Amino acid sequence: MAALVEERTGLKTRWNQGTPEDAQVQQHLDALLGSDLTSDRAVEVALLNNPSLQGTYEELGVSQADMVQAGLLTNPSFSGSVGFPLSSEGVTESEFSIVQGFVDLFTLPLRKRVAKEQFIADTLRVAHEALATTAEVRQTFTEVQARQQLVALRREVVQAADAAADLSARQRAAGNVTELALATEQASLEQARLELAQDELALFEAREHLNRLMGLFGARVQWTLVEKLPEVPTIESSLEHLETLAIRQRLDIDAARKQASLLWNALELARSTRFFGRVEVGVHTHRDANGPRLFGPTLSLELPIFDQRQALIAKLEAQYRQGEDRLTELSVNARSEVRATRARLMTLRNMAERYQKVVLPLRTTIVDESQRQYNAMQIGLPALLLARREQVEAWRAYLETVRDYWMARADLERLVGGRLPTGPLPTGTPEAPTPTPSPEPTHEHHDH
Amino acid sequence: MNTTTTDDPQGAPEDTRSEEPRTGPDVPALTRRSLLARTGATLATGALLMHGRDARAQPAAPGAKQAHLPPGREGRDYRPVVVPNGAKLPWRDVGGVKVFHLVAQEVEHEFAPGLKATCWGYNGHVHGPTIEVVEGDRVRFYVTNKLPAHTTVHWHGVLLPSGMDGVGGLNQKAIAPGETYRYEFTVRQSGTCMYHSHHDEMTQMALGMVGMFIIHPRKPVGPRVDRDFAIMLHEWRIDPGARRPDPNEMTDFNILTMNAKAFPGTAPLVVRQGERVRIRFGNLSAMDHHPIHLHGFQFRITETDGGRIPDNAQWPETTVLVPTGSTRTIEFVADEPGDWAMHCHMTHHVMNQMGHDLPNMIGVKPDGLDAKVRPLLPGYMTMGQTGMGDMGGMHHMPVPANSIPMVGGKGPYDDITMGGMFTLLKVRAKLDGEGDPGWYTPPPGTQAQLAQADELRRDGIDV
Repeated sequence: MAALVEERTGLKTRWNQGTPEDAQVQQHLDALLGSDLTSDRAVEVALLNNPSLQGTYEELGVSQADMVQAGLLTNPSFSGSVGFPLSSEGVTESEFSIVQGFVDLFTLPLRKRVAKEQFIADTLRVAHEALATTAEVRQTFTEVQARQQLVALRREVVQAADAAADLSARQRAAGNVTELALATEQASLEQARLELAQDELALFEAREHLNRLMGLFGARVQWTLVEKLPEVPTIESSLEHLETLAIRQRLDIDAARKQASLLWNALELARSTRFFGRVEVGVHTHRDANGPRLFGPTLSLELPIFDQRQALIAKLEAQYRQGEDRLTELSVNARSEVRATRARLMTLRNMAERYQKVVLPLRTTIVDESQRQYNAMQIGLPALLLARREQVEAWRAYLETVRDYWMARADLERLVGGRLPTGPLPTGTPEAPTPTPSPEPTHEHHDH
Repeated sequence: MNTTTTDDPQGAPEDTRSEEPRTGPDVPALTRRSLLARTGATLATGALLMHGRDARAQPAAPGAKQAHLPPGREGRDYRPVVVPNGAKLPWRDVGGVKVFHLVAQEVEHEFAPGLKATCWGYNGHVHGPTIEVVEGDRVRFYVTNKLPAHTTVHWHGVLLPSGMDGVGGLNQKAIAPGETYRYEFTVRQSGTCMYHSHHDEMTQMALGMVGMFIIHPRKPVGPRVDRDFAIMLHEWRIDPGARRPDPNEMTDFNILTMNAKAFPGTAPLVVRQGERVRIRFGNLSAMDHHPIHLHGFQFRITETDGGRIPDNAQWPETTVLVPTGSTRTIEFVADEPGDWAMHCHMTHHVMNQMGHDLPNMIGVKPDGLDAKVRPLLPGYMTMGQTGMGDMGGMHHMPVPANSIPMVGGKGPYDDITMGGMFTLLKVRAKLDGEGDPGWYTPPPGTQAQLAQADELRRDGIDV
């Protein structure tokens, strides 16, 4: 399972079973959280430390026990009887036998196979869980990244509102504006502050969501995250490729496939043994009173006259068909979900590109030209600040779009059951929320 | 060129006789119009006697009496006007008729260094070149329309037959793009008139389709003037950074011009000390009258667009209100040398491209505000807390591409904190040619100076 997860995510996971190695894992966790968190690191921490995931791993333990159980013969049964005479001339009579279920010997390999398949199916399901957790961690990480940047931008909005209110107060002090004008600006500032508070809360909540996913508490929640949202990658995988990928490598589909085949095997098992009743063979010793000791084999044969396991077989047949249906359903849904999510991904990427190539440059132009109009005393500071504020809002919308893109991408990765082939991903941190509104780009402060 | 000669009945020798019946019984016997008509006829007769050979050389329409004078000539019959920053419409004498050709077209015009716009004008000029004729002239105007819209030309204030009045739809069909119309009439008055489009006036006049139409008397009236200036007043809306006047503007004009130039783009009026100066103002602004104030002199308003004001009805003035759609002519003797401001006294009319929705910053204490705003807007600097006076020196800050500062042209001592409808009258004892003589240097003791402490003490001034 760990190998499977590693293959699909490139990251290690481990089922902590209370061994000395667990301590090493804890050290590793601290190392991971010691420096700035990245998406991969967050996933790794979650895979190692998410309590719910660990709980799921325990299910594997249970399944493995089942498999061991299946590999064992049923225990032989020992029976003995002693007869005491009720009259004085009688002698004590005893009888012992060991009986071993015989059919087990024939069905053992088949049963082992069924159990093994069950185990594999469970493994796949658990690995699928791990991948789902991975996707959720990536999404939440993206959310935290975005929220941090959105808060930084919201602080700029507050700054702009603050400057406008400040100007209004100064104008009021000079006797140039009414109480109404001042109160309006101040109300606008307060509104901006309240919105900042909401944004800060959203950031806090996103961080806590990530903490839950990473299973962190105590001092470990102090992790930092400086990496900015990456830009959207330059290329996307084709739809056909993604659908094929989903059908081929999605673990839950694989699990369903295994489940169906398992049911088929179980059905085969039931069918092949339908005319066997319980067959028991054993040895038997008997000593009659005053008689010689007798020893011989016993055979007890159940005659499958009334119960030929029709009910069991019918049930298994139904379950098998159910399994097939489930597999079909999963595949159809998987393809559809892949298509829908890819459409979402493409729309978001187009939007992000539109923002980046058209809207944000336009907003920059608007701020630059507003600054020029201000310099020529065509507009005042409030209009200039408004232009700046609208630029910031455009950046916020852009960031939200990029965030949603990465979320959709994590979703898509979950839906195709593994990492998407990445094109030439821009590796460096993009200068997303750093609008340069004037000819002197020296006062960049939105890089926090 | 598509020359259409329609409306021929009006093109034929129209003369004063056709006017005569209209001064009939229901009209006062001696209206100004009939008086002028008769004067014209009398003059014409006189001219025929005096210049018999010239007159005979010109073919008269058969059976029609020659009702106009031979073309009045520059230098002989009149002293030409000076049009600062402007041009004049050339003419040719064709059979005793002054023939002009006006071409209505799109024109790239510079209002002041740094501000150009695509306007509509005539013959490559905004405003149209000044037409200069003489009372008694027979004039023929070919008007070619090279605009994308229909147009007409109305001869504003000129007395003429109704069919020549140029109101689109009323007196004629509007001139379609590509067409050429002919206007022809005899000039029977003298004074300052104008011409402009009279089709979709709001658009076409707002885009610049106006001009001056100067009519000199055949014989000088009143004291002879040495300098005769013609100035057309106009107003525009051109957003800083835009490249075309906005004809939809109704109140918030931001380019106020004299002969389509805003200060510091206006050329000075140069005269020699002691000369008698006439300045003719015409106003075809969309919505505003302009009280033009001249420093340094008292003048008299000698003409309105109705004609000459009798001497005993003139009184001394320093400001002449030129209503829109009107002309006013002032005269004075430039006896005091110097550089004298002449400007519209509406203070927003001596501003260039001013933003009128600015917050009131007067008296605002900006300390700390710059520091607050600069993280957001690195180029920010608080302005206006002491007014607009510093705007002239703001050139180091980036401003919209096609725009001029609100105020400011270089003066000899500092920036002149005015713009728009502002120019200078430069009076000098000696002149070298017609050009700008440079800045005036006041003789010692005739200029305001920084007061010295001992003077203040001497005069009991406690500061």
